[in-house]
Amino acid sequence: MKRSSVLIVEDDKWLAEQYARVLKLAGYKTTVSLHALAAIEVIDDIHPDAIVLDVLLAGSTAFALIHELQTYEDTGKIPIILCTHLASELSLENLKPYGVKRIIDKSVMVPDDLVSAVKSVLL
Amino acid sequence: MSATRGEHKHNSEGAMFGGLPSLVVAAHELKAPLALVRQLSLTLEDGNISIEEQKHMLRQISLTSERALRLTSDLTRSVRLPDALFTLEPINPQQLCEDIVRDLTPLFSAHDREVKLTSRRRSLLLVGNRDLLRRIIMNFSDNALNYAEGDARVEIKIDTRNAGQVIRLGVRDYGPAVSNDIFKSLRNKLLVSSASTIHARPQSSGLGLYIVGQFAEAMNGNIGVTRHRDGATFYVDLLASKQLSLL
Repeated sequence: MKRSSVLIVEDDKWLAEQYARVLKLAGYKTTVSLHALAAIEVIDDIHPDAIVLDVLLAGSTAFALIHELQTYEDTGKIPIILCTHLASELSLENLKPYGVKRIIDKSVMVPDDLVSAVKSVLL
Repeated sequence: MSATRGEHKHNSEGAMFGGLPSLVVAAHELKAPLALVRQLSLTLEDGNISIEEQKHMLRQISLTSERALRLTSDLTRSVRLPDALFTLEPINPQQLCEDIVRDLTPLFSAHDREVKLTSRRRSLLLVGNRDLLRRIIMNFSDNALNYAEGDARVEIKIDTRNAGQVIRLGVRDYGPAVSNDIFKSLRNKLLVSSASTIHARPQSSGLGLYIVGQFAEAMNGNIGVTRHRDGATFYVDLLASKQLSLL
């Protein structure tokens, strides 16, 4: 059975590594991009099934990446999970039209929250 | 016009970052390392991790905690700066930077990166405070560690300006360039002193730069940034020591 692939876009290398560790243990294939520009290239290459995305990134923000993804029909359909310290300031309802399916608060999340979120967006 | 010490005190207590008091921003800045430490700890608690990986994660926890502690220590030093007594003395920047490189090497190695000192010849002495100058370079280096791309190295450079009257210590990173649009939008984000404006990167509150800007001013120096196509150099300019010319 083909393993679902998850792209992690997170500029904290060790946190990205931690997300990848947790998702791999749950059986997902993971790729890490440390900033939005690199993520765009990776998305074209691997066509991930889901994207875990930090909001404040080096270079440009997650919203620039989301906007770019929405420009194309295929990438616009990839479910996005925002994983951010700014969760309390974001509205899922407002972001749903842009492909955002879940918002996780980094400050209070437990590792399983990430797995649950990925599972739920891939149903 | 330089700020006086009295103005420093006023600034440190009343500084605003993106409309938020510095205390709120400081709390936000500490969220990232604390969140990482928490995630790693929770995963270690769960088990199911090889011994080798456990060691790796524990090393990350200690190094991340050290970085967070550096920020809290800088904050405390910054608030107490106006009332503190500190000496300005001739300092050998080469020796200071070599010490910093040695101290930072474990952190950089853990990130698969290299930090190195690149100075072309024997450096002139500068006038400064060893502790404050060390904090400035450590802060720039921490910042560079976040932005250096892939396995790119970070370089600490010592240079002279104004015919040897000013010593510039810079930390060069090779990472994604900040776009002009973002750079312009940040133009007024951070006022380090009444004389100079320096810009934080987009995901940075600018608090760290604000603090080290105060440290630099306390030594009659200033900080600045040069953008490159492939990264940036954050630097501090300090007066060269006249000690040798008196001999």
